[in-house]
Amino acid sequence: MDRRDFLIHSTGTLAGAALLPSLELAGPRRLREPRAVAVVGIGRQGRQIVQELSQIEGARVTAVCDTDPERLKAAVERTPGVEGFADHRALLDRRKEIGAVIIATPTHLHRAIVDDCLRGGRHVYCEAPLAHTAEEARAIADAAATAEPGKVLFQSGFQGRSNPVYQLARSFFRSGAVRDLVSMQAQFHRKTSWRFPGAAANWRLDPAVTTGLAGEVGAQQFDVCAWFRGRLPVSVAGRGAIRLHNDGRRVPDTIHTTLLWDDGVALDYEATLANSYGGQFEQLHGTNAAIKLAWSHAWMFKEADAPTQGWEVYATRQQFHNDEGIVLIADATKLAAQGALKKGMGLPYTGLYYALGDFLKSIEEAAPPRCTAQDGLRATVLGILANQAVTTGQQLAVPAGL
Amino acid sequence: MGTRFELVLVGDDAERHRPAGEAALELILEAHRRFTRFEPSGIGAHLARRAGAPVAVDPDTFGLFADAGLVWRRSEGAFDLTGAARAMNTLHLDPAARTVTLTRADVELDFGAIAKGHALDLAAALLRNAGVESAFLHGGTSSAIGIGTPPGEPGWRVALGSESGASTTLLRDQALSVSATWAGNPHPTVDPRTGESLKGPRRVAVVGPSARLADAWSTAILVSGQRPTLGPDWSIWIAEIS
Repeated sequence: MDRRDFLIHSTGTLAGAALLPSLELAGPRRLREPRAVAVVGIGRQGRQIVQELSQIEGARVTAVCDTDPERLKAAVERTPGVEGFADHRALLDRRKEIGAVIIATPTHLHRAIVDDCLRGGRHVYCEAPLAHTAEEARAIADAAATAEPGKVLFQSGFQGRSNPVYQLARSFFRSGAVRDLVSMQAQFHRKTSWRFPGAAANWRLDPAVTTGLAGEVGAQQFDVCAWFRGRLPVSVAGRGAIRLHNDGRRVPDTIHTTLLWDDGVALDYEATLANSYGGQFEQLHGTNAAIKLAWSHAWMFKEADAPTQGWEVYATRQQFHNDEGIVLIADATKLAAQGALKKGMGLPYTGLYYALGDFLKSIEEAAPPRCTAQDGLRATVLGILANQAVTTGQQLAVPAGL
Repeated sequence: MGTRFELVLVGDDAERHRPAGEAALELILEAHRRFTRFEPSGIGAHLARRAGAPVAVDPDTFGLFADAGLVWRRSEGAFDLTGAARAMNTLHLDPAARTVTLTRADVELDFGAIAKGHALDLAAALLRNAGVESAFLHGGTSSAIGIGTPPGEPGWRVALGSESGASTTLLRDQALSVSATWAGNPHPTVDPRTGESLKGPRRVAVVGPSARLADAWSTAILVSGQRPTLGPDWSIWIAEIS
């Protein structure tokens, strides 16, 4: 063992012992028993899901479903040992041995499929947001609550909750690492048209069914902030515009929203399809430190007058212009033991991989899902309200009791 | 793949072309994530973790392994995914079951000499499928594909070097791969048969119907200095440059 290895081990041990007694491995997910899984909806997201599942040991995608014959044919050709269905009901009827279904259709089509799956006694992973209206999202949550209690598991696809780096950062946050929260800031920046080859795929730009940038993207990030805080905001304001893609669309390509909590702390959120600078992140600013979350990475930035904790001495640091960030590494000890820490400080897998892994693990262990139907309902409604605030320009109250 | 990819799509239907170009770039990024040797989520690390067991893969990925095996055999080991003498013997392909087996966990697969071409082939197929009839794609300027022709031209004209007077070639529904060694510093490419760094300076260009095969062959020829017989669809340039 060289000196560097020793420091890495020490860092992991100290940080882990102080803050993370039960954090799971950030490395590969494995199931004890092989499990057959179906994926309904195999557009871009569905394809990604099939790809991630192929890396989870024991997960077997044995059926896929899509109403688009070309996409279905391509998916069947790509995926070894898979049967294709044009109708999810036929899939559920004919493949009784498939106990878990992952739903990745356009948002407004989720509800009917979720209902059929739950009624058929299948475990369901439903992509986020759950639905395009609050009523439909509530109906999904109700159906999940009444489906064979304890036997049928429903996981909402809000991925931050399964992300090992986010879990680590949240434990820092909840233990007071930033002290008093001052404000939050988050963004999603990408330069892309949000159109896809093939006309049928452009439901995101259909004002009748889309939840816009706030619902389709923002809800994931709103959920992270609300989950860190442990409670929902009380109001949402917003505005939006078309800054680049002036191609006849009516859905804004750039939005700003403000989510306000009962203690006066606000989350300022910006999403745009017209500029990619800075990518996607969430920041929590406290009186002692700030935490920056960027999906595969997280950092903590200390104020000069904040007390130093013992483990920080050994921590890995990264320079950002004038600031020095302490890298928050999930499972530092185990990764160091595998020699994986040296290769990079980010997560080895995507957020989607961990979320799907959690879903299948929860089924196997009969454990509660990492993100429940109620969690999904709350985040979905936040996204829908934010989208309404953007389109109407009004400030909207988050319903009490949500 | 640690390099810049650029796509030029010719046409006046921006609403059709832009999404097609974005989707093609997404595919290239996907291929990057799949064939990186630096992440445990890459296919190489996945095969190593499951060493000894057949791993089912999609047809595109199987095609890459099949082509890599073909060039390895025909070049007598001058191209090798494992970067070491005869280590390609540790890879077993089953075309009927479409599985790949890596027999040893300690073999690190390096797709650096084939992944760029593979990604370009996938991107070009997507663009053609989306109705794009004229386009030029390249990865790091060393691998390229010309789809159709630019308006009013017989093909996409590419210079096979940056010096004035460098040979040029015309690409029309063809792929190009260029590999070179330079005088001076040891080249990062190692001859897998001997373990020694390549000596230069030499430049090899290969033009043919597949960017993936062109990539693998340009490396194999650079290493071996031997000119293989590849068939009527292929052209090979070998230049000892000064």
